Formats: sequence, structure tokens, C-alpha cells
Amino acid sequence: MGLHCCLTKTNFQTLKLATIPCSSSFSSSVSLSPLPKIRTITTISFPTPRHFLFARAFSSTATQTTIPPAVSAPAKDSNKAVKPQWKAAIDFKWIRENKEAVATNIRIRNSNANLELVLELYDKLLNVQKEVERLRAERNVVASKMKGKLEPSERQKLIEEGKNLKEGLVTLEEDLLKLTDELQKEAQSIPNMTHPDVPVGGEDASTLRKMVGEPRKFSFPIKDHAQLGKDLDLFDFDAAAEVSGSKFYYLKNEAVLLEMGLVNWTVSEVMKRGFTPLTTPEIVRSSVVEKCGFQPRGTNTQVYSIEGGDQCLIGTAEIPLGGIHMDSILLESSLPLKYVAFSHCFRTEAGAAGIATRGLYRVHQFSKVEMFVLCRPEESDSFHQELIEIEESLYSSLGLHFKTLDMASEDLGAPAYRKFDVEAWMPGLERYGEISSASNCTDYQSRRLGIRFRPESSSSSPRKGKGNSAPTQFVHTLNATACAVPRMIICLLENYQQEDGSVIIPEILRPFMGGLHVISYKYK
Amino acid sequence: MGLHCCLTKTNFQTLKLATIPCSSSFSSSVSLSPLPKIRTIATISFPTPRHFLFARAFSSTATQTTIPPAVSAPAKDSNKAVKPQWKAAIDFKWIRENKEAVATNIRIRNSNANLELVLELYDKLLNVQKEVERLRAERNVVASKMKGKLEPSERQKLIEEGKNLKEGLVTLEEDLLKLTDELQKEAQSIPNMTHPDVPVGGEDASTLRNMVGEPRKFSFPIKDHAQLGKDLDLFDFDAAAEISGSKFYYLKNEAVLLEMGLVNWAVSEVMKRGFTPLTTPEIVRSSVVEKCGFQPRGTNTQVYSIEGGDQCLIGTAEIPLGGIHMDSILLESSLPLKYVAFSHCFRTEAGAAGTATRGLYRVHQFSKVEMFVLCRPEESDSFHQELIEIEESLYSSLGLHFKTLDMASEDLGAPAYRKFDVEAWMPGLERYGEDLLS
Repeated sequence: MGLHCCLTKTNFQTLKLATIPCSSSFSSSVSLSPLPKIRTITTISFPTPRHFLFARAFSSTATQTTIPPAVSAPAKDSNKAVKPQWKAAIDFKWIRENKEAVATNIRIRNSNANLELVLELYDKLLNVQKEVERLRAERNVVASKMKGKLEPSERQKLIEEGKNLKEGLVTLEEDLLKLTDELQKEAQSIPNMTHPDVPVGGEDASTLRKMVGEPRKFSFPIKDHAQLGKDLDLFDFDAAAEVSGSKFYYLKNEAVLLEMGLVNWTVSEVMKRGFTPLTTPEIVRSSVVEKCGFQPRGTNTQVYSIEGGDQCLIGTAEIPLGGIHMDSILLESSLPLKYVAFSHCFRTEAGAAGIATRGLYRVHQFSKVEMFVLCRPEESDSFHQELIEIEESLYSSLGLHFKTLDMASEDLGAPAYRKFDVEAWMPGLERYGEISSASNCTDYQSRRLGIRFRPESSSSSPRKGKGNSAPTQFVHTLNATACAVPRMIICLLENYQQEDGSVIIPEILRPFMGGLHVISYKYK
Repeated sequence: MGLHCCLTKTNFQTLKLATIPCSSSFSSSVSLSPLPKIRTIATISFPTPRHFLFARAFSSTATQTTIPPAVSAPAKDSNKAVKPQWKAAIDFKWIRENKEAVATNIRIRNSNANLELVLELYDKLLNVQKEVERLRAERNVVASKMKGKLEPSERQKLIEEGKNLKEGLVTLEEDLLKLTDELQKEAQSIPNMTHPDVPVGGEDASTLRNMVGEPRKFSFPIKDHAQLGKDLDLFDFDAAAEISGSKFYYLKNEAVLLEMGLVNWAVSEVMKRGFTPLTTPEIVRSSVVEKCGFQPRGTNTQVYSIEGGDQCLIGTAEIPLGGIHMDSILLESSLPLKYVAFSHCFRTEAGAAGTATRGLYRVHQFSKVEMFVLCRPEESDSFHQELIEIEESLYSSLGLHFKTLDMASEDLGAPAYRKFDVEAWMPGLERYGEDLLS
């Protein structure tokens, strides 16, 4: 398996842009305790909500769905050079208390996170913090002593003492800032925790959840989608190579109708299930990309950057969808929030050069319909089920033969607590190719993006005069590919081809394509 | 005018990205004469088709539909610094023979092209070329002389002569290259010629071709689209400002259906008229952007560049559509080629900061369905008519009240010989969608 890593252009997975599980973050089932004083300093760059506890991490390789684990660049190197521009709410206390579980998780994920260093830095931080508090207390004592009547010599002594304390404090506070940054940097590498049912190991360990249909038997020699596309005048790769470079393409004629039909049908099907349709910006600030768990500037990054600023092109609508409620506190009653977004996606596919990438398998630009859910922590498992069922239903309706996999620990993206991939049968390739992926990111992204909700407490006694004062919690986020157009085009062309070279359009799509039944040869 | 520049997300016009007429290129009705030798040098980077005669020029300001002419940066400055990476096949002989017409055209277009300099450089080039030919001829004479039997002293003299000639040639050939580049650079600024019916002057001179419908009378106080979008939960600008910056937006709910409906409908309507549907790359090489008549790196450019290479984001599908048949010789029987393309478009809108831009009027990213035609020269006027009729038919079908303008000479884009703009009535703005800048 592992086709998801290299092959198909429309990578239907929830498009973490990451299959390298080098980092994981803590599961959302971390119990929240009130913030001790130390944490307010750690969260200095954030609006400081009560429950800002979570470990967020990502690796540089998190960006590459298309690079097999062996080739990925280690997270550390990319992180070393740059001080984090924003801070994730990481629950260091929890990490320390659950050290073995975290260490095991890092190991099964094949992550480069340095847990020992994180704990060491955390301890140092705590100590410096204590020292700072001590000096502050002493300075207060000195200050209050100076209020009374004193001998000049005594006063002078106190002034001296005050001055020393102040200098000492300045130094310590600088150390504190430095430690905070270092700690953030190291801790951000720590991957999300892992669902207990996730198989441990590499791609071979992924387990089969479901198989639908079976490979169609052809009574004639079949063509792959690139050949079909050429014969039926559906794509133009050559002109695009001139205008833009390799791995770009024009869709032509019925392929355009196919794209529009697929998008329209998918959006309407998902809307029926209560998802709000959206279109999103395709240019976003690089910080948002990072907060979702990708590294825009890592080695072999998948992310295109715009010159002259901090903007990037999105590789998946997951990013602008995660960003919608960035730095917000949602009402519990508004959850779950279910979005379905259509966008174009752009990927550099750096590091994928040389891999056989004929036709639409690996391209730099494609259309995708993405599902995104924000929910309460206790519901994320069931929404994960819901998302995969929607995907399976869509692909069944299209008459595809596919299998659903529960991805193994080494193949999870940094943010994913659990990930289901769907691989469809592609006769032209003579194997299964990834067409989608559904990830439960628990609170990994929400802690970075700052998305919290306030539980409605009807039972607890509210403090008088104040409204609902229940502490906020982090939402869980999930994402799933509803339709990655090029991959879908590959599946439809290859599976529905006829002996005479034409391609039948699945019934369910025909109303969305002006009633078109078949793509046939054009006679010039 | 100039609604096409800023406003609606689905901008059905052929979207030149340019209303600043600083440069123009020759019309496709330039009569074609066989290429004299000089032109092969000018077209050195091109496969040289027989009828590759036309002057293409563009100004930095050609990129900004939304910047009024006064604000535009002069073409020259942007061109000065950079040697052209590719060569346009410019008909210098024709320019020289039609000097007055070209000069007049440059003037009515308000272009910065320096015609005198172009002609001067051209003459220099011709002279250097003549000299090169002369020296080569002499060298051939020397070479053939040396084939015969000679006295050693004579042979030595010939060898000397040959050496001098060779050195002279090397210098001259370097000059030739340099002149060719300079000439290209200057000549690329020269705008297209102008259709005789185009009104001369600034935006006020644009004439009305057609008016369809009339402003709807409302019996209640109306809202503008931004308010409607807010009330009906159709847009989100605030969240987009956080994640991307100002002038970005999410479409929500029915607005998404509206976008999909508009695109699907427009594509199918245009397909019925014989246009081939396409989707295009939205990342292209910057040279293609330039060849279409835009300046990706000018001051206040509309073009986003990708870091680490020579790629840009398209501001209109016109660019990848123009690029499809780049460097090609088509069969006459394949013409006309009629394409309708759906793409996302990206524009920096640099230089437009501070202008009132509430809501969807001026945004960095939008969806657009674009029509593109390649045809024989004698047919372009009638295809221009056909295109405007298709547009008017589409907007009428949608029940819009609009007017069609024949744009004045100062408002044509560098590449445009003639340009028709459609401005629709926008009740929330209380006027026709024209630029909010003036």
C-alpha cells in the first residue's frame, strides 16, 4: 500500500500533506487542570485562555504525503534554524506525568522528537520561574522596607540590594524567554497521540477495514487514463509543460464537464448530510499552514510560497478551513460545525521527481472537495466514522471498486490521531491508488490554531454576577477528502472504458453533466 | 468605467488586466510581406513562421486595470533594467515605412514608447549588419585567395588580413547582439495599432455602443451586496482577513451555489456557440505573462510571483489560453480556435490600497470564465463582434441592466486594437460598475 505517498495526483486523503508520522501531539483526552502560574508565561504570545494546555508538534516531513518515510528529512533540522513565530498550547505537565506513553508514541510514530530534551528544558524553565518569583518577592520586601523611616546608610544598603535584585531579574527574565522559545521549538516536534486501535508499524501494517466491489474484468486490452485522455482529447500536458512546466495540464472537452459534474455532485451530496458549503482563499499566511501541522519552509516542502511576503498557496482546503475559527471561543451549542469546501490545491511535489508520474497521478494543481468538522472531544471518534462512511458512500455511488485502510502508526501525519485511507482500483495502473483520506486530528490543530469552545454548564453553580464561567476546552478537528478530481478522473476513465475506446459516464453524474452518457471519439 | 477591472468575482470579459494604453501593438490587419533578412535576427528566439509579423508591446501599467492612467508607472523604467528574455517578431521595416501613423498611435494611446530611438537603433542595426556582411564577403575572398599557390610574403599578408577581418567581425557581431537586445527592449514598448473607429482620448471619450434594460425601481430602501451578504450569511471577510489578509473572502451557503451555477451555466452557454471548454494551469512561467502583454515585475504589478523560480500566478485565463499554441504553426483549416476556460484568478491589486473596496469589488482571488479566440487576421473584427454579442446575450439572460462601451484610445490595454467594456448597473453602488477610484 502506501500508494498515497507517491502516486495519484488527486490525493483524496484528508490531505495532511503529511504521511510521515515523525511527530504526534497529545490526544484530546488530556484532562485539563487549572493553569499554574508558569503557564501564563509560556503562553505569552497568545490570548491567554484558561485551558491552554496541549502539545502541538509537527515535522518538516509532515508536509510530504508523497515521500515515503525513508526519504523524509528529520524534523529537527528544519526546526533548528527558525524561532517559532507563534506558540502552541502544550501541556508540559501532562507530558511529564505521562512520559512513558509519550515516549512510546514517539517511537511507534518513528518521530524525531526529543522528549528528554523537552522535559529537561521544561524543568529548567520551572526552576528559572521559581527563581524569578523568589527575586520578585525579595524585591517587594525591599520595596516595602524602604517605605518606613530609615537611617541613610540603611537606605543606601537597601537601594543597592534593590538594584542587584533588579539586574538579576532582568537576566533571569531574558533566560526565561529564551527557554520558552527553545521549549516550544522542541515540543512542537512531538506528534499527536495515537488511537489504541491503530496498527503499529509501517505501511504493511495498515489493516483493511472494508472492501467494496471487485476489479472489473475486461474482455479487451485496456488503456490507462493518459492514453484514454490522449485518444479522447481530454487533456493537454504538452502545452502545459511549455506554459508552466511538467506536472501541469489543461483539461479539455468532456474532462471539464467531468470535473464540474464531480464537484457539483459531491458538494450537493455532502450538503445533504448537513455540511455547510464554502469556497476558501487559496493564498494564506504561512503561520496558518504551520498551525495546521505542515512546514512551509522545510526541505522538500510541498508548499509554494509567494514572493515578497509570508504568504503561501494552499495544498488543501483543510488549511483555510482550520483557519476559519482561529483564535476563537465557540459556543458549545454551535458544535459540531461541518463544512464542505471546494478549492484548487497547489503542491510542489518536490522530492517526487523521478517517480513515474504519467498523466494525472502527480500534478502541481488540482481541484478538490474537502470535508472539515469541528466538534466536542467526545464526539470525534464518531465523526471520524461518519466521514469515512460518507466517502465510502460517494465512491460506491460512482460504482468504484475500493478498499478502506486503517493506517499504521508510521504512516499517520503528525496531526492525526487516526487516519483512514481509501484506495480505489485503477485498472490502468493495475493496482489500488489512494483517492482519499480521513483524519481525526483531535486537538492537535485546535491547540495550535487556538480554537476553543465553552461548554454550557447547566449543572454547576455559576458564580454570582457572571454568566457561564465553565472553563474552555479545545475542539477536535477532523478532515476528509470528498473528491480529489484528477484521481477521480483516473478511476472513472479507466474503469468505465469500453472496447471501442469510449468511456461511459456513471449514471449518478449524468444530471450534473448536462445528461451526457458517454465520452466518445471526436471526429475532426 | 472599468468595472471589469475590479468588481465581480465572475468577470465574463476577456479580462486584459490592462486599461492603461501606454503601449499598443500592431493590429492583425497589418499586411504581411515576406520577411527580409533582418527580421530573422530579430526573431532569433522564435521558430520563424512566414507570417510572424506583428509588434507586441506592453507597459508595466498594462497590468493594472484598476489604476487610472495618471497613476501608471511609465513603461520605460521597468523595461530599462532587464534584458528581454525572449524576442518579439517586430516588423521594423513596416514601422519605419509608417512612421507617422505609428507616432500618432503612440500619442493617442498616451504611451511612453520612444519611436525615434527605435528607428535610430534599427538604422544602426541595419548598418552594422551591412558591415558584417561586407567583412564576411571580404573574408571569403581572402579565404579563396589563400587556396591558390602564393609567395610566402603574400600568404603572410593574407593571413594578417584574414586575422584582422576576423577580429573586426567578432566585435561587430557583439555589437549586433547588443543592438538587437536594445532594439527589442525599446520596440516592445510600442503599443498595438488602433482600430479607426476607436474614439480618441481619455475615459470620457469612450462611446456607448449598446444599452440594455434600465435601472430597477425599488419601493423600499435597498442594501448593497456587502450588507446582503452579511445578512444572508453568504460571505466571510473577517475570518479570511485573519488567515490570508484583506481582500480575501470565503463564500458560504447559497453564494457557493451561485458561483457554481454561474460558472456551469456560462460554460454551457458558451459551449453551445462552438467554444471548446478548458481548465487551465494557474501557475505559469513569467515569460508567458510578458508575452501576453503584462509586466510581472513592474512597479505596482498585478502579478503574484512564486518564490524560488520564474513562475507566477495568473490574473486571468487569457494567459494560459494564449500560451496553449505558443511557438506553433497552425493549419489554416484549424482556425478559428475558440476556447472557453474556467479558472481561478489572482491579482495583487497593488496600488489600489486606500481606494474604497467594500465587499467583493476588489479582491485578490476570484473565479472567472474566459473566452479566447485565435483566428485569421481578416476575421478578427467579426469575432470581436461575436464575442461582445455573446457577452450581451449572457447578461441579458440574467436580467441585468447594462451598457456596452467602445473604449477610448487612452484606455486600451497595450495589446488591444479595440476594446469593448460592459458595465452593469449596481444599485447598491448607485451607478454602473465603474472604478471607484476617480
